[in-house]
Amino acid sequence: MSVRPAAARTPEEEAYREAYGIILSSRVRLARNLRGVPFPDKASPEVRADVRRRVMEAAREELPVQETLSGSSMLHRQELFEDHLISRHLLEGRPEAAICMDAARTRAVMINEEDHLRIQTLRPGLSLREAWSDANALDDALEKKLDYAFSSSLGYLTSCPTNVGTGMRASTMMHLPGLVLMGEMEPIANGLAKIGLTVRGRWGEGTAALGHMFQVSNQLTLGMPEDRIVADLEEIAKEIAGHERNARERLKRERRLFVEDLAARALGILASAKLMTAQEALERLSELRLGIALDLAKGIEMQKVDHLLLEVQPAHLQAAIGKPLAGEERDLERASRLRGELGRRPVKRLGKRTE
Amino acid sequence: MLCQNCHQKEATVHLTQVVDGKTEKFHLCEECAAQKGIDIHAEPMDLGGMMEKLKDQLAHLKEEWVEPKAPAAGASVCPACGMTRTEILKKGRLGCDRCYEVFASEMLPVVVSLQHSDQHLGKVPKRSSDRMRNSVELARLRRELEKAVAGENYELAAKLRDQIRALPAEGGGS
Ligand SMILES: [Zn+2]
Ligand SMILES: [Zn+2]
Repeated sequence: MSVRPAAARTPEEEAYREAYGIILSSRVRLARNLRGVPFPDKASPEVRADVRRRVMEAAREELPVQETLSGSSMLHRQELFEDHLISRHLLEGRPEAAICMDAARTRAVMINEEDHLRIQTLRPGLSLREAWSDANALDDALEKKLDYAFSSSLGYLTSCPTNVGTGMRASTMMHLPGLVLMGEMEPIANGLAKIGLTVRGRWGEGTAALGHMFQVSNQLTLGMPEDRIVADLEEIAKEIAGHERNARERLKRERRLFVEDLAARALGILASAKLMTAQEALERLSELRLGIALDLAKGIEMQKVDHLLLEVQPAHLQAAIGKPLAGEERDLERASRLRGELGRRPVKRLGKRTE
Repeated sequence: MLCQNCHQKEATVHLTQVVDGKTEKFHLCEECAAQKGIDIHAEPMDLGGMMEKLKDQLAHLKEEWVEPKAPAAGASVCPACGMTRTEILKKGRLGCDRCYEVFASEMLPVVVSLQHSDQHLGKVPKRSSDRMRNSVELARLRRELEKAVAGENYELAAKLRDQIRALPAEGGGS
């Protein structure tokens, strides 16, 4: 392993921050139902089982990793939920539900959620067009074997009228600590609502955004072609990212000591705490992530923090250990892993190194 | 409080109207209210004209269903899935694709208020009929034509008109 001066940024780190520093990922979801078959909530168990069989069969080639969820453990479902592959509905357990994925887990179909099919695709960074093109192609492939409920005026027919038309929800995951700390998130969220976009916290219920992580998505699904919805959202996401960049610069210029202290405390706690809840971990990691972006936390790669943001979540943590843990055991294990990743190890090792 | 119109009788009819997004309050006596054509015994939310317009849109919707058409108006149970009107209004969810037709008079205003639109302009399943594909395409071209005309882009408007003409006539079945 090469040792480089702590302050230097590698070109890889530079590129990573540029690509994912504010917009972490892009997602597209399409709601689809089978023609002439009651929607899952209204269907009998036999009908749902038949829908599941038909959709799994149709998806087998594209999405070979297939699981019926009734047989799987809560911990396993929780892990899929943390990876954004299944919804809260499926996590809590819906009858005759299933998930089909590709090996990379970037394309998936949920079966018997609120609709018969929920097609989902994920791309890193700002790449909504690519995510839509993936979803569109997957939809084409499924449609060869499935007959969808569709009307020429209302488009794809869905269980809830908020999804009718394209059935599409496009979203970007954004890290917006600058706007939150400068007190500018509220007006931006209100402004977005006025133009038909929804802003929600990535973690936590409602709009309480844990770790300054937000999901921005289209609210309207009818009356606009998919490529327009996606192009509009992409423009807005770029604009929000611009505001965030600006807010971060102002933070560094006008409140440097405050933000420097914030990041240093975050790192201090992550590197030395004995017990750490998931909530606290997400909050401190977010503050550290901001510090990295502003060059105030030297020597830690943003990618490592992003990896940890996933790894500290309860199911991922327990999956890594290979067994379920109770509350305090979990907090103990989480803290110990964070100390291992972010503690002073490299410095010590450097001091002891002899060659 | 006195009537805002005649300023003589006691105002007993209190109305809130939303016009162009602005809320206005009216306080009128019963007589003046009647003169203005306000039926004080009507339901607070009257969708009257809007519903009529939306029912026309139904014509599109109906032709897509293959099954024999039950008289849609007034139906209280979906013959395909057994969903009742009350259940739909309570849950805000439909039971099956047929529900959109059966309960169109309730659902279309809901869709319009949620979506600010009543016409799909996106993807059409590959296996759908040419007629269905043309119908969405026609709606899309008409929308673009409106925009072109509004923006005084007459060259584009002429092109769009040609494209609309080139589509097979509705119900023409070529
Ligand atoms: Zn009067
Ligand atoms: Zn029904």
